[in-house]
Amino acid sequence: MLAATMTTSPAGTTAHFAPEDGDHALVRSASRGDVGAFESLYRRHVGRVHGVIARLVGYHGARAEDLTQEAFVRAWQALPAYRFESAFGTWLHRLAVNTALMELRARRTRPQGDGDDDALDQLGTQDSAGHATALSLDLERAVATLPPRARAVLVLHDVEGWKHGEIADALGMAVGSSKAQLHRARGLLRTRLGEQ
Amino acid sequence: MNIEHDSDGQSLTDSLLNDSRLDGSALDDRTRWALRDLRRDIAPGRDLWPQVAARIAAGTPAIDAGRTTSRNRPPVAPLALAASLLLAVGLAWQFWPPMQSATQPTARLIQAEAHAMTREYDAALREVEASAPAATASRQPALRELDRSAAQIRTALARDPDARFLLERLRHTYSLRLALTQRAALS
Repeated sequence: MLAATMTTSPAGTTAHFAPEDGDHALVRSASRGDVGAFESLYRRHVGRVHGVIARLVGYHGARAEDLTQEAFVRAWQALPAYRFESAFGTWLHRLAVNTALMELRARRTRPQGDGDDDALDQLGTQDSAGHATALSLDLERAVATLPPRARAVLVLHDVEGWKHGEIADALGMAVGSSKAQLHRARGLLRTRLGEQ
Repeated sequence: MNIEHDSDGQSLTDSLLNDSRLDGSALDDRTRWALRDLRRDIAPGRDLWPQVAARIAAGTPAIDAGRTTSRNRPPVAPLALAASLLLAVGLAWQFWPPMQSATQPTARLIQAEAHAMTREYDAALREVEASAPAATASRQPALRELDRSAAQIRTALARDPDARFLLERLRHTYSLRLALTQRAALS
């Protein structure tokens, strides 16, 4: 797909392609209310934002699109607080992750969720847009079918390159819990790949 | 993404399952690289911008409150006011107590809401279009289509005055029309 647009390192130093060069001027214009500039930022970054959200929600097409839309609305609202201390793409990526995680936490608080990842285990396989069902026998599918919290930790740690401390902060859990979820996710990943 | 095979035909799955170093937590380098390779851009299945733009238009007042440069964006002000009013009308309609609707002349209230919404919408639209008449005119075909839709909804409301869903459709159409006009005016 778009793998050629990035360079990666398992050490967590991924240099993801990001069109930062022209972002600053657009961000400044958008901060002054220029919706056209914000649309340009949307066009530049929507693939990256939707990508990370899709991974976090298990490639559930409709949910990923709804959350992507939500992330950009929040980005517009938060632009006045953006201080150019980090690249806009980095800031937006973090905001997108937080948007997806907030939804994940909200699902856990609903009565039917019962706070039990196993009860939510099917979320990654119920895909109205057909993304998950269209996935072949592969690692992507195995990640998609992980329980939500375990998947979130695995995606953030092993795919996005976050540290356990960052993940713990984002998910509102202890660092030890993040490590335990990663352990669980990796174990499940091997099991599910073995089942295929 | 399909499972890759290395030179001796071992699949990634085999690598995961057979690596003797794995204790339930660690992953071999090959798997770690494969996971990291999942990090890629994925375009959504549809263009999400129209919905984002409409929501931005409806939520603009909250952003303005914290901005020091709002004086530089006069075209947005009337739109923001109208959008907030439309939103308020929509919310008032949505949270209408069921008991009240059962005891009051629902149709008359819906008609009053529709008329108030239309007045605010017309006023905001005139101001936005006056600020950039050339730009807003450039999108006339799309805007005219939305105007036709709004007119049809208003006609339907006149025929079926207690149809709340039509009021919601009208609010949505007005919001979209204002968002598109705002984009044209600011671009």
